Amino acid sequence: MTDGAAQSSSCTMPPRRSLFCKYFATLFVAAVVPLILGAAVEASFGYRDQRRQISAVLQADARAASDRIEAFTDGIRDQLGWMVQLPWSAGDDAQHKIDALRLLQQVPAIVSVSLLDETGTERVFVSRLHLNRTGRGIDMSTDPAVLGARANKVWYGPVQYQRDSEPYMRIAVAGSLPAAGVAIAEVNLKLIWDVIAAIRIGETGYAIVVDDSGHLIAHPDISQVLRGRASSGSFGRIKHLAGAASGAAVITGDQGNPVVALSVQAADVGWTVIAMQPASEAFASIRAALWRSSILIAFGVLIALALAYWRAHRMSGPIKQLEEGVERIRTGQFEHRIKIFSGDELQQLALRFNEMASELAISQQKSARIERLKQFLPSQVAELVEHSHELLEGQRREVAVIFGDLRGFTAFSTRNEPDVIMAVMREYYEAVGAVTTRHEATLIGFDGDGVMLLVNAPVACEQPATQAVRLAIDLQMTVQSLAGKWCDAGHAIGFGVGVAMGPATVGTVGYNGRLDYTAMGAVVNLASRLCNLAKDAQILADPTIAGRVRDSVPLASLGQRTIKGYDQALEVFAVAPADLPLKAPGSGQRRREKEPQDY
Amino acid sequence: MKRREFILLIGGALAWPAIARAQGGAKLHRIFWVSTESQPDPFLDGFREGMRALGYVEGKTVTFETHYAPGDPQALRKIVSELQRGDIDLVVSSGPATRVMTAVTDVPVLFALSGDPVALGVVKSLAHPGTNFTGSTFLSLELAGKRVELLKDIYPKLRKLAVFSNTDHPGEPLEWRATLESCRKFGIEAAYVPFCGAREIENGLMAAGKVDADALLVFPDVVTLVHRAKIAEFAIAHRLPSMFGWSEYCDAGGLLSYGANQRTTYYRLATYADRILRGENPSDLPVMRPEKFELAVNLKTARLLGIDLDVSSILFRASKVIS
Repeated sequence: MTDGAAQSSSCTMPPRRSLFCKYFATLFVAAVVPLILGAAVEASFGYRDQRRQISAVLQADARAASDRIEAFTDGIRDQLGWMVQLPWSAGDDAQHKIDALRLLQQVPAIVSVSLLDETGTERVFVSRLHLNRTGRGIDMSTDPAVLGARANKVWYGPVQYQRDSEPYMRIAVAGSLPAAGVAIAEVNLKLIWDVIAAIRIGETGYAIVVDDSGHLIAHPDISQVLRGRASSGSFGRIKHLAGAASGAAVITGDQGNPVVALSVQAADVGWTVIAMQPASEAFASIRAALWRSSILIAFGVLIALALAYWRAHRMSGPIKQLEEGVERIRTGQFEHRIKIFSGDELQQLALRFNEMASELAISQQKSARIERLKQFLPSQVAELVEHSHELLEGQRREVAVIFGDLRGFTAFSTRNEPDVIMAVMREYYEAVGAVTTRHEATLIGFDGDGVMLLVNAPVACEQPATQAVRLAIDLQMTVQSLAGKWCDAGHAIGFGVGVAMGPATVGTVGYNGRLDYTAMGAVVNLASRLCNLAKDAQILADPTIAGRVRDSVPLASLGQRTIKGYDQALEVFAVAPADLPLKAPGSGQRRREKEPQDY
Repeated sequence: MKRREFILLIGGALAWPAIARAQGGAKLHRIFWVSTESQPDPFLDGFREGMRALGYVEGKTVTFETHYAPGDPQALRKIVSELQRGDIDLVVSSGPATRVMTAVTDVPVLFALSGDPVALGVVKSLAHPGTNFTGSTFLSLELAGKRVELLKDIYPKLRKLAVFSNTDHPGEPLEWRATLESCRKFGIEAAYVPFCGAREIENGLMAAGKVDADALLVFPDVVTLVHRAKIAEFAIAHRLPSMFGWSEYCDAGGLLSYGANQRTTYYRLATYADRILRGENPSDLPVMRPEKFELAVNLKTARLLGIDLDVSSILFRASKVIS
């Protein structure tokens, strides 16, 4: 009972993951995933293209910057070359000095120029800051600038920071004739700023120049350069990272923001030009594309949400309707009809469901009728009425007929009140019905205190005679035990049984829906006569029964009896089983209504 | 690596709208202009021009509170206390005024000095000032000898040089020593004509007239700058080829000048002012030094002097010729 309740409650509980949710999720995912995938693929390809393009732009800009820086140093080199065209001769120091001063005027970046003769001795020195010198001066023949220039014609010195702030560098050029000596220029590299500051990559991109060891030489923000070697750490890192990548690399720039950087070597001086563009600017177009995609995705998501909701709703709504319908049918509301007009399989299903409901209604009516029939018909017969028409068709077959009849009932019924009578009758009928059911016999009907039972029709059985006799014994014992009770209540009622076997016509008869199953033939009469002959607690059987059951049930022959409606006397047998008390206690006190004959 | 970069970029891209560019904004910045120059002040004009070029609008995003004490740095001492008001964003001190400003420690100070700021003690080093001071130095000490040389070039007969110097100017003794050394190298007799402040300039000039020199060297300094026209006049009157520190002197009638362009220097100073107003720390901004030096020559004065000058030795290297 409790199990059933639990089960029914679990049935009515809504499922944890409804069809709606599943449909909704599936449709949603089906719409959104391709959208997102598409956008992601587009973005990644766009990123690659953009990167390639940025690489190309940075390459061009860095190359241009490097070319301009080379032009700057080459310009100084060429100007110095003019200084060392002619061999030194006595007394032309003054002319050299004017040349050198002109050079200072020509090239603003040169701070001072030293002109050395072939021995490496300084002959002319002019400077913007210091006093000029002419004539034989200091011997610089072991100066690395002189040695370098003599070896390679041109020598580029390392970058040095004056007062650890301003970047300087020496450039030395030796004349093609050793007698022309060497010219050494001291160059203020701050002047490269003009070159570098002019380079704009995109809106905010720029180029920087670092030397071989990562020291900053030029930067659009001159103060970065003026910080000297102290700030070289971060630029060394940038140079390393930019140099390590084959194309443009995304690195953290000198201002701490991500930049796209690409480095190019300025061949002569061994410097590195690094072109940088903030990543935010470099990838602005891809970012715009991403935004576009994002907006499209958001739009798509909204549409997918709405569509998936609508679709899932269209799917789950009718299913819920069907579920409700089933529930109603379960509770017996067969008149319930489902209305779905989706024009698809669901409508078809609803149609079938409605058909099923109407068939169920018919079936229900049928079983209700059976229930009603069962009140009046033997249950087997009632079942048969519904399920097997052939069996009930009129036919002739051998049947065993059992009649039972109460003794002393007429007297009892005249002496007692109707409610007492009905109480006795009810007990009697119940007992008879129970026995009939137990032995699967057919209760043809009650006739007042009499009852007629049929064995082997309409349901056939293997040994009808034996079964009939057993039924009779059981019936007699059951009623006798009742009779004992009644006797104790002061009602002298007995019970006699007659059993006969033989061919009879069986079938349903009746009219207007009211059907009765019955048997007709001599055997019915014989059984009835035998019943009449039987005394209280006695079971009388005809010779056919006796012949059939002789081996299994003890019988006592009562000899030939004349039976009404029969020309010849018939041998009658009394069933006398060992366990049947033929004379119930107190039965002698009963008044016998029918005592045709003593034996 | 590439994938990570890509993810980083996407993340950055999505965060982009939230990143607003830090701008100077509409805030009104108060700049204290402290100077020992006289008005009109060409240096303030240069600085203002620089600020305008950087997008500042006077009265809207920037105001100047100018404090002048011509030739008298001591007079500026009392304004240091005004800085305690707390609404001053930046002090710009021109020339000797810087010496007074050393007492200021909580307001950024931009200076334009002719001397060495490290020697003055306002910064720890040129590359990393490390204090609330930064700015520009004119490198005038290194140029002191050069000026004698140029004077000798244009006037080879130079034997005796009057050196007109304001002893009130910081670093003046060093400059005099450098000049003296240079004169000795060229075999020139240096006649030191010191004076103290604007009050003594008349007396100073009178003294200069009495030393019987062939030429006049005037140290670049606020007092001589203010009185540049008077000094140039004096030099012409006494037929003295004159040498000055800045081209402003030549404009006023001086024969020669050699030094950095002051206006350019102040213009550049404006970029530092902008950076400090945007929140950069002056201690991280290296002290700037000029890399271009102007050689100015006034041919009109050369003619007026009426003496034998080797102008050609100067002309080919002059960056500014006034005729």
